[in-house]
Amino acid sequence: MHHADLTADVAEILVSEAQIQAKVAELGGRLSADYAGRELTLVSVLKGSLPFMADLMRAISIPVTIDLMEVSSYGGAATESSGLVRILKDLSSSIDGRDVLIVEDIIDTGLTLNYLVRYLTGKAPRTLRICTLLDKPARRLVEIEIDYRGFEIPDQFVVGYGLDYGELYRNLPYIGVLRPEVYGGT
Amino acid sequence: MTALDPVPGTAPNFAHASEAELARILDYYQVEWRYEPRTFPILFNLDGAVVESFAPDFYLPEFDLYVELTTLKQSLVRKKNRKLRRLRELYPDVRIKLFYARDFKALLLKYGRFDLAASLSGEEGQARALAATPTLEGGSPEGPPPEGSPSSAPEAASIEGEPAIGSAAALGQDVPRSTRHGRARRARRRRRAAPTVA
Repeated sequence: MHHADLTADVAEILVSEAQIQAKVAELGGRLSADYAGRELTLVSVLKGSLPFMADLMRAISIPVTIDLMEVSSYGGAATESSGLVRILKDLSSSIDGRDVLIVEDIIDTGLTLNYLVRYLTGKAPRTLRICTLLDKPARRLVEIEIDYRGFEIPDQFVVGYGLDYGELYRNLPYIGVLRPEVYGGT
Repeated sequence: MTALDPVPGTAPNFAHASEAELARILDYYQVEWRYEPRTFPILFNLDGAVVESFAPDFYLPEFDLYVELTTLKQSLVRKKNRKLRRLRELYPDVRIKLFYARDFKALLLKYGRFDLAASLSGEEGQARALAATPTLEGGSPEGPPPEGSPSSAPEAASIEGEPAIGSAAALGQDVPRSTRHGRARRARRRRRAAPTVA
C-alpha cells in the first residue's frame, strides 16, 4: 500500500538527481566521441528508459535519431495470453545498416535484453550496442556485454527516474530504494 | 535425440514450485533450458567411490550456465554453499549461479507474481510443486514416462540435506510422472519423505 506522498515510500535515495545528471552528461560525451562522424539511432525500451533517453539524447552533440520499443514482461497480461515474450511496440523505422544503441533504464536478469538483442540483430544494424543507466548484476542470468553503464547498483528494489512499481514512482527525479512494506518484500 | 534431450510429450518432475516457475520464466523469454542434466561428484571416500554429488537444477546451453535455486531460508543455505564451493573447486570451468530464496522472491515480486512470492519459500513451495501443472516446453505433464527411458543421472550416492518432499500418494494425488533425469535420486527422496503436508 503506497502513501499519497510517494517520497514517503522511499527508504533511501540511492542515486541523487545531481548524480544522475552528471552521469548522463558523461555518457553523452563518451557517445559523442565514440560515434563522431556517424549518425546514431537511440532505441529506448519503454517505459522505464524514457527519462534517461530524453536526458541522454540532449547530452549527445552528434546527429541522433530516436525510436521506441516496448516488450511484454513476464507476469503481465501477455503472460496469460501467449506465454511468450512479444513485441508490444516495434520500431517505426528500419535500422538496416544503422548504428544502433539500445537505451535501457536497468539491466537485471538480462532476459529481456537478451531477447531484444536477438530480435534487433535480425534487423541487420551496422552496429548494436547497449547503454544502461543502472546495472544490477546480482540476479543476472544472461551475460550481456554492456557498452555504456551509468551505475552498478546492489540488489535492491529501486524506483524513480522512469523505474516503477505498479506504474508509480516513475516521476521521482532520483533513484530510490522502495520500502519493503510497500511491495511486500522482507 | 541424445540422452540429455527430453522425451517429446513429457515435462520434468520439478522438486519445487520455484523450479517450475523459473522454467516458465525461461520459456517466456525463449531461453533454452535443461533440468538436472548433469550430476557432479563432489566428495569421494578413500577408495575413490563417490559419496556426495551435486546436480544443479538448470542448465542453459545457450549461455553454458548452470542455475541452482535454493528456497531454503538464508540461515540454512550453508550446506548448499559448501556444495557449490566444492563444485567450483573441482570443476573450475563449470559456470554456475546460485539463486537464493530472497533473490527468487525479489524476481517474482518484480514480475508481479505476488501470490507465488509469498508461497514459494520453504516446504510449502515443495507441496505446491506436486499439485502444479505448469505448461512447459516439451509438452503436456500428463502420462507415464516412456518405458525403458534411460536415466542421465549416475547412481551416485547423494547426501541431501534439503527438506523432504511430501509424498504425492499421501496427498491423494496421482504420482507425478517422472522423467529419466535423476529418477533414482528422486526415488531416494521419496523414501525419506515425510508423508504429510499442511
